[in-house]
Amino acid sequence: MDAEFDIGIIGGGPAGSTAASYLAKAGLKVAVFEAETFPREHVGESLVPATTPVLIETGAMPKVEAANFPKKFGAAWTSAEDRNIDHNGFRGLTHDFRAAEILFNERDQDGVDRDYTFHVDRGKFDQILLQHAESLGAKVFHGIRIGKVDFDGEMPVLEAKIGSKSVDIPVRMVVDASGRQTRLGNQLKFKVPDPIFNQYAVHSWFDNFDRKALAVNKDQADYIFIHFLPVTDTWVWQIPITDTITSIGVVSQKKRFQEFAGDREKFFWDTVASRPELLDALKNSDQVRPFKTEGDYSYGMSQIAGDNFVLIGDAARFVDPIFSSGVSVALNSARLACKDIIAAAEAGDFKKERFGTYERKLRKGVSNWYEFIQIYYRLNILFTAFVQDDRYRLDVLKMLQGDVYDDEEPKALAAMREIVKAVEDDPTHLWHPYLGSLKAPSAKPQF
Amino acid sequence: MTAISRDEIYTKLSAYIQEQFLDDSEISELKPDTPLLEWGVLNSMNTSILLTYIRTDLGVTVPPTHITGRHFYSLDTITDMVYELSLQPA
Repeated sequence: MDAEFDIGIIGGGPAGSTAASYLAKAGLKVAVFEAETFPREHVGESLVPATTPVLIETGAMPKVEAANFPKKFGAAWTSAEDRNIDHNGFRGLTHDFRAAEILFNERDQDGVDRDYTFHVDRGKFDQILLQHAESLGAKVFHGIRIGKVDFDGEMPVLEAKIGSKSVDIPVRMVVDASGRQTRLGNQLKFKVPDPIFNQYAVHSWFDNFDRKALAVNKDQADYIFIHFLPVTDTWVWQIPITDTITSIGVVSQKKRFQEFAGDREKFFWDTVASRPELLDALKNSDQVRPFKTEGDYSYGMSQIAGDNFVLIGDAARFVDPIFSSGVSVALNSARLACKDIIAAAEAGDFKKERFGTYERKLRKGVSNWYEFIQIYYRLNILFTAFVQDDRYRLDVLKMLQGDVYDDEEPKALAAMREIVKAVEDDPTHLWHPYLGSLKAPSAKPQF
Repeated sequence: MTAISRDEIYTKLSAYIQEQFLDDSEISELKPDTPLLEWGVLNSMNTSILLTYIRTDLGVTVPPTHITGRHFYSLDTITDMVYELSLQPA
């Protein structure tokens, strides 16, 4: 049996199309199998600057720039406590715990040549990247779903389904970029549900939403905003999609969503009502898409590479999206995996050991990020304090930029871990009442 | 930074807390041992504002591990903490 393609990629989202671009540029014969017809809607609309070097390397950046997506210069967080502060007459203070904001250009980042990244309509963005891969020579099959992958033979065979028919496609190596469907993770039983996070999101797009309604600094209306709600472990994203359309999503514990018996409308409106100024701004705007839900949050994989396959993007790991990590993990996992894949192809050997560098770098980066998120949920006042502390600000920013793959553990993480422990152990610590309910073991994630 | 005396720290903190947090309160005078947290003069929120004042105006960074009921009990305990921290190298 001869391979029809060197590399078969399952899924044409940002991970799959980026891998296809790298591999096609390296002269490999690549096929991408995308089950849906693009453009299609997708959640995960805000990028971080770590996507920039990848988009430049694959050559997609000029096309992304040409699409005129809103530019994202920074990020801001608001808490429910700003009202109390206003009542006390402290409106003018720049440094307190009600809000934090950060500009990406405060820290230089390798390979990042501009001050901004983007907020994107994923329908358009994903299509641009996939068409770019096609322009580099990758063969893209739309509307074709991959069923099982047979690893028993000399080379992997993809079962490609078109309607009720199916065709076997032998390839030298498989890249699983199937997103949260986790095609190979399910088939090979690698998937490990997250022991701590079981979050759920309900989201939609709103036209004419006043983005400045909750902004402390009104010049920053086009930042991503994370609004914390006075409801345990619950927050709202506010992401500009066009001049007038804003993506709004509520993230909360799944068990809270279940209390609403799956009524997503009621869940959304009741939850945002806990920040009256947010509710007002939403009521004065027009919802332009039906509510969508995202469940099956946060998981890892016991294995992300094996003989003749790797998993990339959400198919490899999904962490809570509070720091806009999704597309960045997709693009950077594709970048790291492709280095190993190209070397493996040159050597003519696709054994698991060939993908060790990829696996190590991805796990290290994502685990730093994961712990950061965990601490954020546990004690988000601490995050605000660190952003405002010049000893840690750049270190925190580095994580927010998505620059997590190449170095050892950021020093801010160790310091944060120590403080969380001090606060947990001391009921008289003034932050003790602010501890969130997602209690993590102090050890690093095991997956 | 030039060293700052304990008295000076006390005077500044006392004036700041009086001015910022006691405006329309019935507590008329702060004593060195007035239990600030107990009486509600300080709460978690305005403690953070006080920390900012300590950092920007007194040049002393209070490590988050020090933000405890013991250290913030009264003007005296806050002054002691800030004074001790001011003696340590930054």
